[in-house]
This record gives sequence, C-alpha cells and structure tokens, in this order.
Amino acid sequence: MYQHNGEEIFVIDGHVHLWDATEENIKHDGGEEFIQCFYDYHTTFTPEDRQWSIDEYRKYGADRMVEDLFGNAAADMAIFQPTYLTDFYEDGFNTTEQNAELATEHPERFVLNGTFDPRDGEEGLEYLEELHEKYDIPGVKLYTAEWRGESKGWRLDDEEAFRFLEKCQELGIENIHAHKGPTIRPLNRDAFDVADIDDAASSFPELNFVVEHVGLPRLDDFCWIAAQENNVYGGLAVAAPFAQNRPGKFSEIMSELLWWLGEDRVLFGSDYALWNPDWLVEEVIEAELTQEHRAEYGVEWDTETKKKVMGENIADLYDIDIETKRREFRDDEISQEFGLGDHYASEEPAAADD
Amino acid sequence: MTGTESDGSTSAPSRTAVRDRLDRVTDPELDRSIVELEYVDRIEIDGDRVGVDLTLPTAWCSPAFAWMMTVDARDEIESLPTVDDARITLHEHMHEAEINRSVNEGLSFAEAFPNADGDVAAVRAELDEKARVARQYDAVETLLEAGLDGEAIVGLRLRDLDGLESTEDGNERSVGESEDADETVAVYVRERAFAVAVPSAPIERYLEKARETDLVSAPDDRLFRTPEGEPIDPDSFDLVHQRGRLAQVNMSSQGGICDGLREAREGRLEEPADD
Repeated sequence: MYQHNGEEIFVIDGHVHLWDATEENIKHDGGEEFIQCFYDYHTTFTPEDRQWSIDEYRKYGADRMVEDLFGNAAADMAIFQPTYLTDFYEDGFNTTEQNAELATEHPERFVLNGTFDPRDGEEGLEYLEELHEKYDIPGVKLYTAEWRGESKGWRLDDEEAFRFLEKCQELGIENIHAHKGPTIRPLNRDAFDVADIDDAASSFPELNFVVEHVGLPRLDDFCWIAAQENNVYGGLAVAAPFAQNRPGKFSEIMSELLWWLGEDRVLFGSDYALWNPDWLVEEVIEAELTQEHRAEYGVEWDTETKKKVMGENIADLYDIDIETKRREFRDDEISQEFGLGDHYASEEPAAADD
Repeated sequence: MTGTESDGSTSAPSRTAVRDRLDRVTDPELDRSIVELEYVDRIEIDGDRVGVDLTLPTAWCSPAFAWMMTVDARDEIESLPTVDDARITLHEHMHEAEINRSVNEGLSFAEAFPNADGDVAAVRAELDEKARVARQYDAVETLLEAGLDGEAIVGLRLRDLDGLESTEDGNERSVGESEDADETVAVYVRERAFAVAVPSAPIERYLEKARETDLVSAPDDRLFRTPEGEPIDPDSFDLVHQRGRLAQVNMSSQGGICDGLREAREGRLEEPADD
C-alpha cells in the first residue's frame, strides 16, 4: 500500500499485460511496428533511469512482472486485460490463457479478464462461455481495432456485438473494458471512435463500460458521453504518465475528468509494461492540480479522491473487499516473498471506527 | 515548359514562400501547423520543382491523417505561381509507399487504399468540426473578457462583426507581421445598440474554421454553435463553453503524446543500426 500524508492508499492497477513480442512470435510487420510504437510510448513517458531496453521490453516474463507490480508495494492488486492480436503474433500478444498462468498462481492478487470478438460469430460465443466456465472471468477487454483478415475493426454498437454483450450480461461478466486509443487502423474509418460506447452503455445499463485511455485522443467525445451515461468509466492508462513529464497537462486532463465524470468513475491503470507502477503510482499520487485549474474547474485531487481513483472505484466494480484483502496480504505468498507484511499490518481503518 | 529561364533567377519560388505555404497546412487532429510541429524535414527547390520530406510522430499515425497532410502540402505549394510540381515524400510511415505514390500521381484516397470504406472527406469534416469548437472557446473567451455575457454572445450573428479583413481568397499576407496583436474588431450587441472592440485574431481564427465547416457564411447566421452545429440555448451557454475547453484539452493532450513519440522515435532512429 502506498503511504501518503500519513494515510494508506490501497492501489489496484486496473490495466496490466504479460506480453510476448519476441521476434519469434511476430508473424506480420504490424507486430513489429506495434511493439516499436509501444516502446516509443514507454520511452516517452518513463524517467530516463527507469527505461527498459527494447529486448527486455519484448518479453519480460512472469517473475519480473510480479516484482515490478508488487515488489515495492506500489500496487496491491492488478487486473489482466488481454490483447490478442493473433493476426500479428503467432501465439497472440497477450491472451487470456497466457495471462492465466500467472493469475491462477496468485489468485488473491490478480483478476483475470477475458475477451470477445463479435467477428468470430458462434465460435466466439462458445469461446466466451468457455472462458467463463474455465476462469470465471468478471470482465472482458475489447480491442475494436484489431485486424482480422480483411477486417480492420468492429464497433460495440454492431448488432453482432450486442449479441456478445447480451451473453456477458447472462453470464454475469459485468465489466466491459474497451480500448479507445490512438487511431492505428490503416483506413479512413475510425475503429477507436468512442461513439459506439454511447449506444452500448444505454442499451446495457447493468454492465459497466470502462473506456481505457479515457478515449485519448477523443477525450472530448468520451467525457461528453460519460457525462450522460452513468455506467461509463474512464481508465487512466496513457493519461496517468503525463504526471511524470507533463504535470501541467496531467493537471488539466485530471481536472476535466473530475469535472465531467466525478471522482467515482475514474480508474487508475498503468498499462504495464507500457509503464511500470513501481514509479508511476508515486507520480500520480504525488501529482497536484495547478492552482489555476483548481480555481477554474472547482475540483480537488485530494487524499479521498486519490483513494477512490487508485483503488476503491475499481474495487466496487470487481466486488473486491479492500479490508479483507488487507488482512489477507499480511502473510500471503507475495508479502512473504518481498517482505511486505508490515505494509498491511496497520489496523488504522478499524481503529478509526472505535 | 517553364519559359522564364532566359532571365534565370526569377522562376524559382523562395524558400520563405514555400515555408509559408507549408505553414498553412495543419495536423488535422491537433489543429497546429506542420511547420510548427516540426514534421517538415527538408525543402528542396530545383527551378519550378519543389520537394518536401515529411516525417510524422509515429509510423502508426492514422493513414487518413497522413494522407490529408501530404495532399494539403502538395496543394499549398502547387498554388504558388512559380511552382510547376511539388513532390511530397513521407518517411517512416507504415503506409508511406501507398501514400507517396498516390499523392504524387494525383490519385484519390480511395485509389490509394482500395479497401477503405467511405471517404476521407468525412474524417476531415469531423476533425475540422473539433478544431472549430476549440477555436470557438478562444473567441468566446475574448468576448467574455470584453464584458459580454453568455446571452449576448449566443445571440451574435455574423453581421454583428465589423472591421474584419476578408482573407478568404487566401491571398498572401506575410504571416506573423500583419496579424497585429493590436488589431480589433467591433462587435455590435443589443440590436446594434452599442459596440465593443475586441482583439480580432481569435475571432478571425474561429471564423476561418466556421466557414470551412459551412456553419457561418450569411450575415444572418448565428456566430457560435454547439459542437453539433446548432444555435446555443442561453441556458446551456456554460456547458457548451466548457465543451470547447474540453476540445482544446483533448487536442493539446494528443499534441503532448505526438511530441513525445516524435522525440522518442528520433532518438531510436539516430542510434546506430545493429549489425
């Protein structure tokens, strides 16, 4: 847990991957360009002394991931968001099955999400059921701009996509994470357009729609939709690292999010291994809104808000009881491995009630 | 072809003229000049032929955006009377081969990308609309600072502006010099009961995009609109204004990402290649 102003902040990293972009796994030029582009994002926003080499970045493996996420207690839990990209990578970039190896080893620390692709039709529906049965996934990560043969993307408000959302609702898979980032589709239609979230969210009010990367570069469209649909959430992956090298911009983006969505619907995510929570969590928690933005927007990035954004909000979506977790983590395997028991020893919240 | 070679020196365009033309080309997503953004690597002038090399921040930069910038660069330079042919070369882009060939052969986007569904014009229109909303914020801020209230601002029509220079014809104004910060425009309010003088630059910048998006052309057209292009209800003035602010934050945030990616990639490409 992160110690901040004498208080403990329980951090759930809402967006992590265990990927393989080794040259042996790449089957299409797109795969190499994809990891190079990721690496540019990595070096752009990572402090110089914390940057990885491209070789370690291609495949870092499970042990390193566990240490990076939890080793210094930067994050307490993490949620796997798979990105298949099977047209680009032989065995996929990071699939549910690959992530499951680590998630099932530490089920107390990881949440395992699945995925679906409506273009897979009946087989896709079966696959979704299979993921549900095998792993009891509480959510899915969707990559609407993923290439599949001739197709360069799909939309969440397609009729076919609605069949999959109905299936999610039926199976109790409540959290729908949609990647909405920069346009990379080599065509004119914008497969990361956030407009499709609007119809999907109002048609499925019992599901939660998390727009990853807060729609950047469509922050404006995203906020406008989220202001009207209260089951739409913003995932901070990509916006968060602005805290490190563009603090003024971070202040501005965060102010907009708090103004349009409020403090209950913004969720922290590092997008590991794009960025590493071992430095990012501190940057985000210690960030401050500028005086100018606080006055202009009338919002605060105070400790209560930080607690919500860094963990409590997503804990609500995933039915995670933070107090129970604190007790469990006093001596779980990972706390033992990294000597973290003391981090979870405090009785502070319970004592406050006495 | 050129016919003016007898006197030798006057047929070639000046580097400044070419640069000024390129300065009018914007990254459609950021609404900022490609010159200012440092996408222009090289300008080569050989008589009446001009070559321009461009590199965008990332190989993944939307091909539709890359297309718009290369086409606009070509068209802007070829509009100079001293230029016969402009050749644009995009580098380090995943679709550079298709784009370079098609732009320089004068093909359409659909010919360059045969399996594109729809027209690049729709994407351009959407980005122009966002740029218009972001520019509206600055124009409205200028009017608020001058003391007008929301109700007066939403009621303004094009005819209520007086003293604007018409630059629609695109004639040369040496950039940076004639756009004097002291230039003002008179804005008439309350049924022309009185006028206030406000700096003209943000108003002109806004009008440029409002015209491009076909929102404001006739004297009776409402000056300011919602992002959807509708007249603004005075009750929702604050909300619409806040959306303009949001559009600016979106653009400048994306600009931050693009700047960073460009620097990162330059760093990567400068490293000696592995043997």
